[in-house]
Order: sequence, then C-alpha cells, then structure tokens
Amino acid sequence: MKIITIIKQVPDAEARLHPAEEGIDLDGVTFVIDGMDEYGVEEALRLREQGFDAEIIAVALGPQRYEEAIRTALALGADRAIHIETDTVLDPITQAKVLSNLVSEEEAELVFVGGKQADWDSAALGPALAEALGWPHSDWTTKLDIGAGTLTVTHDTDEGQEDLSLPLPAVITTQQGLNEPRYPTLPNIMKAKRKELKKLPLDQWGGVQAKTAVVGEAIQVRERLNRVIEGDPVEAARELVRLLREEAKVL
Amino acid sequence: MIGTITRATRTHLEDFFELEPLYTPEERLIRDSVREFVQSEIRPHIDAWWTQGVFPEYLPRQFGELGVLGVTLPERYGGSEASYTAYGLVNRELEYADSGMRSFVSVQSSLVMYPIYRYGSERLKNAWLPKLASGEAIGCFGLTEPDAGSDPANMRTRARRVGEHYLLNGVKRWITNGTLADIAIIWAKEEESNEILGFVVETDTEGFQAVDIKTKASMRASATSELYLDEVAVPISHRLEVRGLKGALSCLNQARFGIAFGVLGAGFGCFEEAARYTEDRLVFGKPLASKQLVQARLADMLGDLTKGSLLAYHLARLKEDGRDTPARVSLAKRDNVRAALKTARAARDLLGANGITTEYASIRHMLNLETVSTYEGTDTVHTLVLGREVTGQNAF
Repeated sequence: MKIITIIKQVPDAEARLHPAEEGIDLDGVTFVIDGMDEYGVEEALRLREQGFDAEIIAVALGPQRYEEAIRTALALGADRAIHIETDTVLDPITQAKVLSNLVSEEEAELVFVGGKQADWDSAALGPALAEALGWPHSDWTTKLDIGAGTLTVTHDTDEGQEDLSLPLPAVITTQQGLNEPRYPTLPNIMKAKRKELKKLPLDQWGGVQAKTAVVGEAIQVRERLNRVIEGDPVEAARELVRLLREEAKVL
Repeated sequence: MIGTITRATRTHLEDFFELEPLYTPEERLIRDSVREFVQSEIRPHIDAWWTQGVFPEYLPRQFGELGVLGVTLPERYGGSEASYTAYGLVNRELEYADSGMRSFVSVQSSLVMYPIYRYGSERLKNAWLPKLASGEAIGCFGLTEPDAGSDPANMRTRARRVGEHYLLNGVKRWITNGTLADIAIIWAKEEESNEILGFVVETDTEGFQAVDIKTKASMRASATSELYLDEVAVPISHRLEVRGLKGALSCLNQARFGIAFGVLGAGFGCFEEAARYTEDRLVFGKPLASKQLVQARLADMLGDLTKGSLLAYHLARLKEDGRDTPARVSLAKRDNVRAALKTARAARDLLGANGITTEYASIRHMLNLETVSTYEGTDTVHTLVLGREVTGQNAF
C-alpha cells in the first residue's frame, strides 16, 4: 500500500516576520516543514514500524524553496518524494484538484494532510482533497489505528472528541497530539540524499486555473510594548492589572 | 529573565557574515536536528547535571540514536559519511549547551572511533565501530599521564611483549569518559623498541581500574578519570597499526578541529545571554545595553565570534580537501578557544552578581572553557607550534 503525506513549507514559528508593502517580507526568513505536516509523516512512519507494509511518498505543491521541507520529510524516513513545482499561488480547492490527480495516478490508499497551515491558518486542503477524490475524511485526528481495509480514528470536535471507523482509501488531517514527531537522525539525513525526488510541472494533468486570485493583502501587526513596570512588586502587579484592563482591554 | 533565545535572534548574529548559503542542505538539516535535540533533551537539564557533577548514563544511547557519534565514518561501520563541516556544526550545537556534551562526542568520535577506523584491523573495526556509533559501547583515550601532559613522549606507561600478548603497566590521568568506558585506547612505550604504540584495551580486563577525579570546578557534566594499568594483558591483535607519537597526534588533530567549532557554541551561548540580559536590565533608569562601555564589549564579542566562525568554516573545507595541516588546526583551536573564553568572561562580568550563579549559563561555560583552553594541546603548546611555523625553530 502507498501512503502519501502532503508537505508544506512555512516560516519558522520562532522567526520574527516583517510585513512588507504587500504581504510579508520573506527575505532572510528561516523556513521549515509545517509542524502539522510532520505529524502526518510521523504517523505514516509509525504505521510502517508497526509492521504495516507501506511505501511512503512525500508530496509537495509549491515553489522551488519547498525542496528543503521535502528533504526534511525524506530525512525523517519517507521513501521518495514528488514536488509539483510552481510559483503560482493556488487556492485550496484548486490545489486539491491537482493533488487528487497525483494521488489517483500513484494509486495511494491513505493520504495525510496537515490539519491547519501554520502560515495562513487555512484548514481547507484536507477536506477539499477528500472531496475531490470522493474519499472519506477524518479531520483533527489525534489517534489512528489501521485494520484490514479500515481505519479507526479519534478526532477532535468542537465540543469534545469522536471515534470514527472509515474504510480505506481515506484522507486524514492531523491534529496536535496525534504523535510526537522524531528528529531526523544523521544517518537518515545523509541517506535521504540518495532518495528519489521527482519534479512535475503544475500542468502535468492539464491546465490549471485558480478559482480565486489574491488582489491585495493587509497584514495585522501586533507590536510589543516592551514596557517594564518598576518598583514595589505589589504596586507593580496592581499597575499591570490596570494596564491589562484599561489599555490592553484583555481583562 | 531566563528564557529561550528565539531562533531568529540566533540566526541573525550567529551568522553575521552569511555562511548559511555555503552549507549543503544536508549540513543545514544536521545542524538543525542536533539543535532541536539539544534544545529539548539537554538544555532543560544541563544546569542540574553540571551542578551535581553527573554525566547521565542514558545520554550515549540518545547520541547514538541521533547519529552524532562518528558522523564522518562510512555507513558500514555505523557512521553517516557526513562532511567535516557537518561534524563541526554538530560540535558547535552540542557545546551551545555545555562543553562536557561536546567533549563526550569529541572523544568517542575523534579519539576512539577514528584511531580504530584508521589504524585498527578489520576485525577490530567490525567488533567496535558499530557499537561505538550506536552508543552501546563507550570509549576513552589514554595518552596524558600525571607527569606527562604537553610532552607525551615522556610517558611512563610501558608495554612488554609476552608471547601473543602485551602486558601494559602505568597510570593515565585527565581521561574523559574513563569510568564510563568499555574500551580504552591506551598509548604505551614498547619496552624493546622504546616506540609509542596504541592498544585497544577492554576495560574489564584484569588489572585495569578507572577512578573519577571528583574535585573539578570545571567540566562537571563530564566524567574525567584516572586509569591504572597493572599488568593488563592485551592480545597482539588489539594493537593499532601505527608506530610513534604520530598515531596519537593524528587523533588529536581530529579532536582539535572539532574544538575549533565547538567552542563557538559556548561563545554564542554567552554572547546571546549577555545581549539579552543587558537589554532587560535597567541601571540608572536605562537598559544596560544603552551604555557605551557595555556596547563596546558586546561588539567585541560579535567580532571575535564572527571571525572564529569564518575561520572554523574555512578550516572545515580545507580539511575536506586534506589540507588541514597541524599548524592550521593549532591556530584555529587556540584562537577560537581564546575568543570563546574572552566572551564568556565578559558575559559573566556583564551579568553582574547574577553572573556568578549557574542559573545563567555564562559562568558554567566560562569555567568549562578553562579546561578546553588546557586540554587537546594547551594554549601555550599551540602558540609554540605557530612560533615554529613562523621561525622554523623549535622552542618546546
């Protein structure tokens, strides 16, 4: 069986970002594999380590720089990778359509997608991909067991959690708690160099027309006050509460 | 005021002259992976380990799983076939936490695995290298003696050939990992030839004893031991295929290279701590960082560590090309340790009274670096190596 894990690359959450006139200035920013996608890679690796016979394929749709995130997935243990390279910004519905072609062509039976993108907070790709494929889907998945042709999962809902049983093939979107991703080990990092990384053009399965286009962006900026309250601790605490209530209006 | 430094802050000043694009994707991944490991597995505990004077027994296995032991060696012996630049970056990331962590990896990789790989028989290599790479086995390196430090040729340890064995007698001191070790690389003078030979000695052999030195005020999260060898019988097949001091020196050249990178980790740890502290701490109503004298010291730190980083990087590339002459390695070891130690002392000072507690890392790094300045060729010995390079005259 083939397992596909979808990979995205996002700015490091610990990095400081600077808004530019349009969007974000990405010059000099450190990029990493999206943490939510790492859960997917890790879960695929664990299924295989439990004795499940699987080929794990890391798939990414995005610009050239995504390659470093793909290499991380290979270093973590994915067997090979496919990179559909494009600089065009595509909405999740369109991305899902492109990726569904690849999933069908590879005859994969299980697809992991990150629950929510760390950069633009979108959680649409997983459900959209399931829809495009006509497959069942579990969102915000925190636990997964695989049986003969069936998955048993636990996933978060607004009010709590739910256990589901769904037949394969299926799309699983990840949630924090699904697992604790490993570090790529040095031998695996070096071995990843020899693994296949296939590049495909965006129009591999015909012309792609985005359904929406971004015509402008305004980034919400939150500046730190960097204020230190001096003096007696009791007085300082009082002042802090006053500031939180009257200025920040969070209390 | 103790807090983690964001990666962004580290990236900007830690790589002031933009070495980042010069690393290969694998080198970057290796660096990041070790960094994450150090951040979550070592940094939360290192202060306690150091204060209590322990090196945790489970760490070698963790190092082995991550793959930081013998990184440059071939895969068939458990290595990763990574570049020397990658090895250097591994050292730097480990020493960002503590010199003792890097010391363990240096000794295992450069002083134990390297001589077995370079001078050992195929049988020795197969018997020990995979276990040393996985952390299942631990090694130590016995060259220095109580009365022979900078002049190892004056060692007293002797190897007497008796039939198919050598009998080893002597004392080794200041041996990292001595009490933890399953094997010891022991250098001893062969009685009949008076030449220095190297042996792979299993530490459970009768007559071998290791005792920790407990009075250290430095490198406390690392085992430093004394080894006693009393008629220790070692099979001839455990002898390394090298004669004379050059065997031991070739190992030290490897380890010193690692130190040139490693100490930058300690240096940057102190620099970042001082930069952060002086930004937060107010004096006469203003942050310390707004004062000219403070800025001058921070600027010196940035300068020293940036130059050290460029030196280490270029030395690594020379080494990958086989052009890491001992004198070049001496320069890098000596000057980078100096840069790190100077930074650590200044950081300790800038932290004021807080600088004397191990709640901050600077004093721990500073004390550790006193050891690093002395071991693997003292600052003075490296100075004399460079003096000889300039003048052609031996002043030892």
